[in-house]
Amino acid sequence: MVNKKEKRKYGVSLSENMGQMKIQQMAFMIVAVFFFFVLVGLFFLGIWLNDIKGSASQLQKEQTISSLGVIADMPELNYDSSESMTIDEDKLIVMSGTLGKDYDLFWPVASIEVYKIYPSFTSIKECPSVDCNYYMIYDNKQNNTKAYSSYVSICKKVSERGSVYDRCEVGKLVVGMKIHDE
Amino acid sequence: MMNNIKKEGQQEIVGFVLIVVLVVVGLMVFLVISLKSPSENERSSEVSNILDAIMKHTTECAIVYDPDYDNFEDLFKSCHQKNDCSNLDKSACKYLNESLRDVVKAMMGSEATVNYYQIDFFVKGETPGILTFSEGNCTGNVNMAQRNIISDSDSLVIRMKVCKTISRGQETDL
Repeated sequence: MVNKKEKRKYGVSLSENMGQMKIQQMAFMIVAVFFFFVLVGLFFLGIWLNDIKGSASQLQKEQTISSLGVIADMPELNYDSSESMTIDEDKLIVMSGTLGKDYDLFWPVASIEVYKIYPSFTSIKECPSVDCNYYMIYDNKQNNTKAYSSYVSICKKVSERGSVYDRCEVGKLVVGMKIHDE
Repeated sequence: MMNNIKKEGQQEIVGFVLIVVLVVVGLMVFLVISLKSPSENERSSEVSNILDAIMKHTTECAIVYDPDYDNFEDLFKSCHQKNDCSNLDKSACKYLNESLRDVVKAMMGSEATVNYYQIDFFVKGETPGILTFSEGNCTGNVNMAQRNIISDSDSLVIRMKVCKTISRGQETDL
């Protein structure tokens, strides 16, 4: 039991302090619970956005391969119309030579290059030449471009011991596309 | 009276500390998951494109006569049928193992962001596989694709797994 003297001494200021303490406690609780739910929300939002990002990236890659497929499947480069992503090496030789200059206004991109990937090489040797590994088809010398690449098959007809057969090698088609300023 | 106030104060402090710990743990989990979230894509168009290019590559192995060379798709079938390369005096499987490693290594060598690749060749529903090889340590995004080939009455599966480091600048490059 608190006697009257003590009540008089502590009573009023104690209940005031207790009230302040309760308000502080409630404020801390509200802030903490708010932050907790915000973090939980951010966590789920992060997972959801990551899925969207992944899907967007995947779609962009598919679209890029499809766009590169359009270039590779053009009659000017394509080896066999029934096969996608297959480039004719003889056409590459022609298009990378002087005849290719006539097509400068034809290409809807900033640059087109083709590399032979296998056998692997340490230095780039432009075709046509012995043991070459690189064809420059077109380059409009434009700055502000981004290169996109995709694997293709570089094929040609080869005659050996009286037989003619299709010889295909692994190559890489690199297409430069203009980056539009926003 | 004073003891009661002290006890209540201690309880408040414990409660407050518990809430702070809870929030910090939530923050840590959120940070760990948001910073480290490698995705796995089992039908990657990128890896599918690599497999397409590999399958069409003409090898040096001729099973029946020279120069009737197999491409990799035919070489997988020849290996499954336990044929020999008549022009090289070695089995199709041995040649496949050697040449496929070289071709894939050359292809992956041209990819700056690839840190791991793995090729598995097996008959569907059978273990162990006919051929398996890998190189590197897998970190970052995992991309996979596979091709199914019919040889005799079996279904052959060629599966490729590629791990790429997450690089914002090269996300759209293939």
